Amino acid sequence: MKRVHLRAALFLVLLAAASSGCAGAESAGAKSPSVAANPEPPMMASPAPRPPPPAPGVAGGAGGGALLLAMNDPAKAKAVSDSPHSAAMLIYTANLSLAVFQVEPGLDAVERVARDVGGYLSSRQDNSITIRVPRDRFDDTIGRIEKLGDVTHRDIKAQDVTDEFVDLQARLKNAYSIRDRLNELMSKAAVKEALEIEKELGRVTEDIERMEGKLKLLRDQMAFSTVTVTFAPVAVEQVQDSTLLAPFPWMRGLGLQSLLNVHQ
Amino acid sequence: MKRSLSRLPLPLALAGAFALTGCGRPFDVKTAPGLVELDDQEPEYAYRAISPERVVMAVRVVDTKGRGDLEFWTRATSLRMHELDGYALLGSSDVKSRDGTPGHELRFGHDENRKPYLYVLRVFVANKRLFLVETGGPQPQMERYKGTLDWMQSTLKLD
Repeated sequence: MKRVHLRAALFLVLLAAASSGCAGAESAGAKSPSVAANPEPPMMASPAPRPPPPAPGVAGGAGGGALLLAMNDPAKAKAVSDSPHSAAMLIYTANLSLAVFQVEPGLDAVERVARDVGGYLSSRQDNSITIRVPRDRFDDTIGRIEKLGDVTHRDIKAQDVTDEFVDLQARLKNAYSIRDRLNELMSKAAVKEALEIEKELGRVTEDIERMEGKLKLLRDQMAFSTVTVTFAPVAVEQVQDSTLLAPFPWMRGLGLQSLLNVHQ
Repeated sequence: MKRSLSRLPLPLALAGAFALTGCGRPFDVKTAPGLVELDDQEPEYAYRAISPERVVMAVRVVDTKGRGDLEFWTRATSLRMHELDGYALLGSSDVKSRDGTPGHELRFGHDENRKPYLYVLRVFVANKRLFLVETGGPQPQMERYKGTLDWMQSTLKLD
């Protein structure tokens, strides 16, 4: 009789785990292997962390799925920041293109700005640089960078990840419950059943790690905004790199090519 | 016959006479045996002669209106040759024309189709004019014609 109860319990747990696994598979595309390798401690029933209100001058997002707001107009950005959705979970990214006289000092200046506001350098190429800055210094950072040159392109986006975050937390909480239940069943199971439970435990653990990684990534993206700045040198008048040719066109004829060019 | 010649217009007769004698050029140069003077094929050359092995000597005359001295034009032409790909300055020396006008000689090496060529440029300034005497051709032929070319150079007299 006890064995029948154990089988029924295992069936129910496997059913729940299967449904949780399906949900986990949906978000598998967003996994970050590097982050998943260092999962955060479980956050069983902790409420979803509410980030501070977005920086002024940047977009807020409406609830109901990811929302991208392209903010190229500062006035529009201000209007949106005053909206009731300003407390949403937002990931801010900015792409700026600046025309400067010299690219290298511009790259150095952006790196300095990142350090000044408590951020860090993410990547740097020949004419572009990506920095991560604390979310509450995002607007300040944009303002300082825009002073480094002529802004030729400005693209600021706020992605609302509230739904994704809450959903991930709920699924993670469920996965923890399943793992605990499976561990409990494992201690009472016979050898044959234990093998099945162990297999399922492995799959649930993998889902947990993936979801923890995704949550960690989202938290990081919300805490630190990404700013990419691309520099282009200002077009300057080109001086012809040629000596004395312009006023003396006959000089073009010097050399063997003209000397030995004998018509038939 | 005498009567018919006397009926020719004077300018035409003078032009014909200049053409026959090489007059009208502000210089005089002799063409050595082994080379033949070419008819005017390129307007920039006042004189050009060629050997069967394609060794060429040419003279250009540029009206400078008195601007620039020998050093200036030597430097300018030298820089121009530096701009041309693959020309290497092999050497330079002071030279004189037959009438005693001082000049500079610049000797360049250059590969054409992976074969070595020589290009020698002499620069003179006289009477508000710049005279450029160019000789060039495949290196073996240039060496073979060296005596001939030297003789032709030595006959150059600037007016």
